[in-house]
Amino acid sequence: MHVIIIGSGIAGVSFAEKYRSLSKESKITLITRENDGYYSRPLLSRGFSMNGIEQSIILKTFDKLRASDINIISGAVITAINRSDNTVSISGSSQENSMHYDKLILATGSSAFIPPPFRPYNELFFCLNSLVDLKALRKFRLGLLNQNRQPDWAIIGGGLIGCEVASDLAFSGDKVTLFHAMDRLMERQLVAEDSDLLLEVLQNSGVKVLLNQDVQGFAKQEDKVSVKAGVTAEFDALIVACGFKPRTELAELAGLEVGRGIKVNQFMQTSDEAIFALGDVAELPNGKLYAFILPIRNQALWLAGFIAGHEQQGWTPPVFTTRAKVHGFEAVHPYNI
Amino acid sequence: MSEYRKYQCSVCGHIYDEAEGDEETGIAPGTRWEDIPDDWRCPECGAEKSEYSLML
Repeated sequence: MHVIIIGSGIAGVSFAEKYRSLSKESKITLITRENDGYYSRPLLSRGFSMNGIEQSIILKTFDKLRASDINIISGAVITAINRSDNTVSISGSSQENSMHYDKLILATGSSAFIPPPFRPYNELFFCLNSLVDLKALRKFRLGLLNQNRQPDWAIIGGGLIGCEVASDLAFSGDKVTLFHAMDRLMERQLVAEDSDLLLEVLQNSGVKVLLNQDVQGFAKQEDKVSVKAGVTAEFDALIVACGFKPRTELAELAGLEVGRGIKVNQFMQTSDEAIFALGDVAELPNGKLYAFILPIRNQALWLAGFIAGHEQQGWTPPVFTTRAKVHGFEAVHPYNI
Repeated sequence: MSEYRKYQCSVCGHIYDEAEGDEETGIAPGTRWEDIPDDWRCPECGAEKSEYSLML
């Protein structure tokens, strides 16, 4: 049996390790576009205030995973899933360009969602969705600090990630303006009272919060970038944090059923019985995507057990909660997740 | 000697079992929770030690 996993986030890596421990005979290959190893995605939100983050964020190197008999093909992109002969086409790997699978696990995660009006300006803003993004942001920031300039940022989006990044940059001494389209912060996860508390915490840490902002676009002004909302304001750099978009393109190309995510049944199985999906990309029969660490790891461990023949019942979501990593903020009420 | 206890990471669900320690992060079997350094992090998700709670 050859199991191929696409993606080296918590879904792919947790599955691979668990399945390895349950099935000694199977061949396991994990294919990833990443080069840095398995890293902690939650720690991206502490990417400016933590010293040595570029090393400490790596929880397991690919060599360490290889030592557990998991074949890792890094820096490689899957260009197609060929369901007629159960193969995947691989680009960027020096080893192989096509590989046969018995079971295929899609754990490709999500990319930053960029609202359509911002797409023409993609040269003008950063996102913070991966370690590669964080490194680019840190390099840019260091460039300014080395010129004795304290960076002046605009964050577009007052959801979970936007608030976390605004908080961490302000905590690190930078100037931060947060633009949010709605009338309160993190309105999806927090009750109004906690949104008010969050606003107060961010303001006290020096973040300028602008609510009800209709951001229409961006423009380059010499070494500054401007944000066009009610009034136009200039910043050293922008970060767009407007949510996530599951990477469903490969599944769509292969003709799998796709909604917001890749549709799966209670066994995490897509419309092709040899192909499974996990994590941010998996849309359960109830229409939900479980894009939080705890249920994702739970799905991955469950699926490893299922494929190894140890589970008969379908996956059921565990009880979980979340917490925004905003310095000095604790919500009073439970998060809506 | 009291019984070994288990602690669970609230972020990812990882379980630290004092009896087993954590080989990956160099924590020997039998290491008590309070004897793990404060800068130790969850080996699965990177959460801080303070994110763990005792499993009852």
